[in-house]
Amino acid sequence: MKKFKRIFAVLTAVMMIVAVAAGCSDTSSNAYNTSKKTVYRTLDEIKESGTVKIGVFSDKNPFGYVDENGEYQGYDVYFAKRLAKDLGVKAEYVSTEAANRIEYLQTGKVDIILANFTVTDERKEEVDFALPYMSVSLGVVSPDKKVIKSLNDIKDGDEVIVISGTTAETYLTENHPDIKLKKFDAYAQAKTALENGEGAAWANDNTEVIAYALQNKGYTVGIPSLGSKDTIAPAVSKGNKTLLNWINNEIKALGKEKFFHKNYEKTLADTYGKDYEEQLVVESGKVKK
Amino acid sequence: MQALGIDVLLKGNNFIRLIDGLCTALRISLVSVIFSIVFGIVFGIVMTYKNTVIRVVSRVYLEIVRIMPQMVLLFIVFFGTTRMFGLNLDAELASIIVFTFWGTAEMGDLVRGAVSNIPKHQYESSYALGLNKAQTYFYIVIPQTLRRLIPLSINLVTRMIKTTSLVMMIGVVEALKVTQQIIEANRMTAPNAAFGLYLTVFILYFLACWPISLLASYLEKKWSA
Amino acid sequence: MADKLLTIEHLKKSYGDNLILKDFNLTVNRGEVVVIIGPSGCGKSTLLRCINGLEEIQGGEIKLYGEKIDRNKKNIAEIRQKIGMVFQSYELFPHKTVLQNIILAPIKVQKRSKSDVIKEAEYLLEKVGLSDKRDVYPRQLSGGQKQRVAIVRALCMHPEIMLFDEVTAALDPEMVREVLDTILELAKQGRTMIVVTHEMSFARAVSDRVLFLDKGEIIEEDIPEKIFDNPKTERARRFFHTFEYDAVKNHTDTLNRKV
Repeated sequence: MKKFKRIFAVLTAVMMIVAVAAGCSDTSSNAYNTSKKTVYRTLDEIKESGTVKIGVFSDKNPFGYVDENGEYQGYDVYFAKRLAKDLGVKAEYVSTEAANRIEYLQTGKVDIILANFTVTDERKEEVDFALPYMSVSLGVVSPDKKVIKSLNDIKDGDEVIVISGTTAETYLTENHPDIKLKKFDAYAQAKTALENGEGAAWANDNTEVIAYALQNKGYTVGIPSLGSKDTIAPAVSKGNKTLLNWINNEIKALGKEKFFHKNYEKTLADTYGKDYEEQLVVESGKVKK
Repeated sequence: MQALGIDVLLKGNNFIRLIDGLCTALRISLVSVIFSIVFGIVFGIVMTYKNTVIRVVSRVYLEIVRIMPQMVLLFIVFFGTTRMFGLNLDAELASIIVFTFWGTAEMGDLVRGAVSNIPKHQYESSYALGLNKAQTYFYIVIPQTLRRLIPLSINLVTRMIKTTSLVMMIGVVEALKVTQQIIEANRMTAPNAAFGLYLTVFILYFLACWPISLLASYLEKKWSA
Repeated sequence: MADKLLTIEHLKKSYGDNLILKDFNLTVNRGEVVVIIGPSGCGKSTLLRCINGLEEIQGGEIKLYGEKIDRNKKNIAEIRQKIGMVFQSYELFPHKTVLQNIILAPIKVQKRSKSDVIKEAEYLLEKVGLSDKRDVYPRQLSGGQKQRVAIVRALCMHPEIMLFDEVTAALDPEMVREVLDTILELAKQGRTMIVVTHEMSFARAVSDRVLFLDKGEIIEEDIPEKIFDNPKTERARRFFHTFEYDAVKNHTDTLNRKV
């Protein structure tokens, strides 16, 4: 991704030179600069236009996906619909990918990103995050007959299954170097390994292990929350104060009607069950410690 | 049927959405190919000139296309133009621009090869008949070049259709993206639908490309008869 | 007085340091057939290419009816229409049929009516015995047939002068005849031609005048009877000798004795 960004920067420079050579930069970039137009649309501009453009995932069930009628659905979309309604405008959904969410905001091609966007310090440099509406961390699932309820339950000689390159692998390697890891490249391999008893437990994102335990009988999530909590929040273009404030106020207001709990029950309960609602949902932007 | 996930396709508008996605993919690649052929012929002929400036410029262009992943080009055209000029290109238009930019380079190189493969004497016998340079290109060089290009450009069309799946990166929803959407939307109820869906997409692509390759072999046969 | 059709004065042609033609002078009159012979590399093909403006020249002048031939001038395409050229390697256009090859330039360049041109093309094809090949592609023809089509193609432009550049050199021996007969027929009609060839007996039959060229210069120039039978220079004599062989076997009448 870093390398990709460097290439991109170099190319932007090359294109700039080409544009100057072609003599067209004079008119267009000046017009762009002198008008002092920002890339984003303010709250008033959005309301005036009658539509809000919201970037969502179209293939990440149950957060953002498209149903068989071509309608966007999911936890993020449920929230997006409410935002549009309370703004008094129509929602226009743009299908985004994990890799282009920041670009969409920085070029103002969408007003809001609601695509399971985890808040990180790095991303805060590029976009402005509103209050969170969900929280995720790591989780550990293990067989019913020998549930691992804390990392202390893991005995010498026991191995913990992880998928290479995931947060779980990094976290355990850094914070619990004494725990032996059994690494796999793909989800399916890790799943088979757990079912064959090749490890005492499987550590992964808690949403993943929760969904797994729900779908496979005989397994329990003994540790639903491990390590630091990550929050998921809406994001807007950097500097779009009016829209950011409005979204923050909206999230606080929605807390009064327990909106995100309702949202969870409508969209996530099928996948994660009711037991983990409090673990995952963040109401009024307040993350429980 | 259930095991293959075909039933998932029949739910709601899924199949229509898939066809829609396929049409988007074909539209982008066919429009791009047509532009690529037209611009590629001009670019290829220009490249045969022994002018240093032309050589350097076309070299740089070809290298950029060769080195640059198409995805980077898509980002530059779709997001980069907004950053620099405030232009807000339609995602499909941006895709066509990128694919044409890429296709013109490839076609141009093929055309250059085909043009320089035409013997010097063909030009001379045309000049000797009193045809001027433009007439020579129009009646003698380009028609012969086109015939040599047919099999090569079919290859380019197929590769372009394959590469259209990248346009999902700038928000264009084409056949493969629709497939992923359908698979994800049904991952609880039909976890094994992926195979059947990809198989369907494969068959659809095949049906779409089949006439193109039929046309190509018809033209090849006609011209070599 | 003779009608001067082509005049070449002080022509100089070189490729870099390699001087091909030095101070070359030639006048061809209307109706005259000039044959140019000489060892390979003597500059005879280059001369024809210069006349047709296919080569850049380094000095001197080539004029057709007083009009200067300069490949960089705008009127070169017009002048070339008056000069028919036939190449050693035929150079028919492979993507066009025989008829299309012939009628392309008359229609597109001279803007003549299509039906007239087709009529003329058919007439000429018949004269060279290729009427049945009207609609076939060049790759379906033999070398000799291709060369006859190339001649017809040049003729159909109604040129003032025809240039033949070793037109039989690439042909199988049995096809040489059909092509040379065609050229002989043109000579009979009184066409002006410059013929570069290695076929000595053909040269003798067709020409009004023969030039012997070596190293870019005219070594000898005369009517065919004189130059072939009685060459004045040692160089020419040696050259003609390369086309004759002294017997190395002593032939007795052994074959007849058996009878």
